[in-house]
Amino acid sequence: MNRTLLIAFPKGRLGDELVPMLAGTPLALDPEALKSRALRIPTATPGVAALLLKGADLPRYVAAGVASLGIVGSDTLDEMDIDLLELADLGFGACRLSLCAHLGVTLDDLRAKPHLRLATKFPKATEAWLSREGLTAELVPLSSSAELAPLLGLADAIVDLVQTGGTLKAHGLVETAVLGRSSARLVAARGAYLSEPGRIRPLADMLLGALKAKA
Amino acid sequence: MPVRTPHFPDLLFGSAARLRRWEGVLMGHFEAHGYRELHPSLVLREGVPEGALRFFDGDDLVALRWDFTMALAGLLTRTFPAPPDRVAYAGAVFRRPVQPWEAVERFEVGCERIQPEGEPAAEADVELARMLMAIPGLLGLKSAILHLGNAALVRRPLEAEGLFGELADAVVAALSRRAPHRVKEALDGHPAAPRLAAHAEALLSELDGPGTLVALEASPYAGLLEAEREHMDRAMKALLPILPPNLELRVDLADVAGLGFYTGPTLRLWAPGAQQELAAGGRYDRLFPGLGRPWQAAGFCVRLSRLLDLAATRPDLFEEPR
Repeated sequence: MNRTLLIAFPKGRLGDELVPMLAGTPLALDPEALKSRALRIPTATPGVAALLLKGADLPRYVAAGVASLGIVGSDTLDEMDIDLLELADLGFGACRLSLCAHLGVTLDDLRAKPHLRLATKFPKATEAWLSREGLTAELVPLSSSAELAPLLGLADAIVDLVQTGGTLKAHGLVETAVLGRSSARLVAARGAYLSEPGRIRPLADMLLGALKAKA
Repeated sequence: MPVRTPHFPDLLFGSAARLRRWEGVLMGHFEAHGYRELHPSLVLREGVPEGALRFFDGDDLVALRWDFTMALAGLLTRTFPAPPDRVAYAGAVFRRPVQPWEAVERFEVGCERIQPEGEPAAEADVELARMLMAIPGLLGLKSAILHLGNAALVRRPLEAEGLFGELADAVVAALSRRAPHRVKEALDGHPAAPRLAAHAEALLSELDGPGTLVALEASPYAGLLEAEREHMDRAMKALLPILPPNLELRVDLADVAGLGFYTGPTLRLWAPGAQQELAAGGRYDRLFPGLGRPWQAAGFCVRLSRLLDLAATRPDLFEEPR
């Protein structure tokens, strides 16, 4: 049975960096399909198509073997308890996972709060950092626009991804501590990789080669 | 908090008949090679892990059988002053699933080879691999892949470096993801980092036939792991000449699944296109000493529930039933 191989690509920030990097390579996405609302996009290689998925959903499609390979941020992987192979650190999409507060508020100020409230999309990484620091806090789970939380009094500070710092600056926030770093990772379905290496490894090599050529 | 939807699938006519047929064929295979059946009770009263299905029987907390190896170990140590050398089992185990799509009730068939401590174990390991090699053909799989690994390839270097607990777990998790860059991240600043990172690169460099063992030469622990390498080399030489048609043998140096349990050679059966392994096992020499018995053991378990799913979703992977 000759099945189309699917690669899961991220929508959003990582996808915006990735799609131009693939242009002119064997895995370039069909420009007409990209303009449409289609989420399954043919590539320049027959038999290989891309799925465009939100970062938080992408690992599930790969883990279940629907897509054989995927590209996702390590921050997303670290938040999810999911069985995947992580074949390479692709280097792009690099950013920091940081504790951010109002300009003038220091880490010591936050430590001294009897009831610290942190808004975040990254509860697992935040809890791990709090544990390492010997701190406790109320976590306010958010799925987007965390920068608003300190401005509107929902939280004392946020834990969020910072790439250039422009969004923070626009909201009067600064980084007070770096909790970790994130970058794009090439992930693979364990079953597909271990049971069909002859199909999956050449595809992984093609993807790595395409990204290396554009680096 | 993860959401877990309980998933208790029923088996209808075709699947029920296939389960009965496969159980019969595999238990016949074990019996023909001297493996005698044991059937531990479905209800266990020993301490149980979080993943077991637990309930109260009056005032007593009990669990449904969650693992045949553990249930058999309890039965064997309670019942036998010296162990039967070959045992087999068939039935269901009940576990809370790790992945939301996995069923709670799973059907398994398997076998174990048990010996007094100190007896040569290499022959028993090869015997188990031979037993497993026959199974794809018995189940009608058109093709399959047998991965040979060895838990000691990771366990011994970690122990030699004095790495235990969270740090060792992080290294194992990184190897399980086949992510050498994660090994480096986990060990950042540790004195053993350069050696263990180089070892991880060696383990992850190949996934192939007999030549894979050559990759171990690049490891800083090549000397420490000489016995394991020889054992795998001997096993390959014993198994390759008798490899059934449509079965491929591969060495997987980075197999770390179940590293807390396995102590030596490991076996994993895959089919091209299957998303999960169809059988798994290996040597677990610390189990019985931990229960007060000086015995060593190895075994494997065929995951019939996964095979039933595969037969339903990918019938093209199976021969037409005769």
